Amino acid sequence: MSRSLPGSWLRESLLAASVYLLTTWTCVWLLRHPLADAATWLRAGVGLLPVLAIGWAIRVVVRQALAGDELQRRINLEAIAVAALVVGLGSLTLSLLVVADVIAVSGQAALVWTLPALAMGYLAARVWATRRYR
Amino acid sequence: MNSRLRALREQRGWSQRELAGRLSVSRQTINAIETGKYDPSLPLAFRIAREFGEAIESIFLFNEDDT
Repeated sequence: MSRSLPGSWLRESLLAASVYLLTTWTCVWLLRHPLADAATWLRAGVGLLPVLAIGWAIRVVVRQALAGDELQRRINLEAIAVAALVVGLGSLTLSLLVVADVIAVSGQAALVWTLPALAMGYLAARVWATRRYR
Repeated sequence: MNSRLRALREQRGWSQRELAGRLSVSRQTINAIETGKYDPSLPLAFRIAREFGEAIESIFLFNEDDT
């Protein structure tokens, strides 16, 4: 039996990423408006809801990575390496510009966007790495 | 590394997908090996050789340029 197709992997990954983004936006809206003055335990519970979606997304990626054959694993490795380097270098560049008082980036925004940036970088790098072996 | 994989596969009338199924790899891997963009691991090269009933060195042709 042949290995799973990249198309199904992409569909499942995009679905998981979409659920994550939708959950995050919903939670942020809830925390800023209806739950702005709610009890801390409730705010913490709602605020951590995106972790479930992230957990699902990570499960999808890990399952696909383990199900892949040797070429697919190599592509994954290259994509992860490129994404980590690009996001790391981007973060460093931004932090240097913040230190130089050229731009202002809140720590909150930086923390929230780290994982999505890594995920988007990984997807883009995976498309690039896949094309290298066509 | 050059290989005779495409020629051997076509001799048997197999599609890339069919050969991928026989070897439990993706069609993408078969295509990458055939186009010389990916060199298979030794275990996969052995499985390919066994599938076609030939020796590894008769399927995969080493070039000095590959080093």
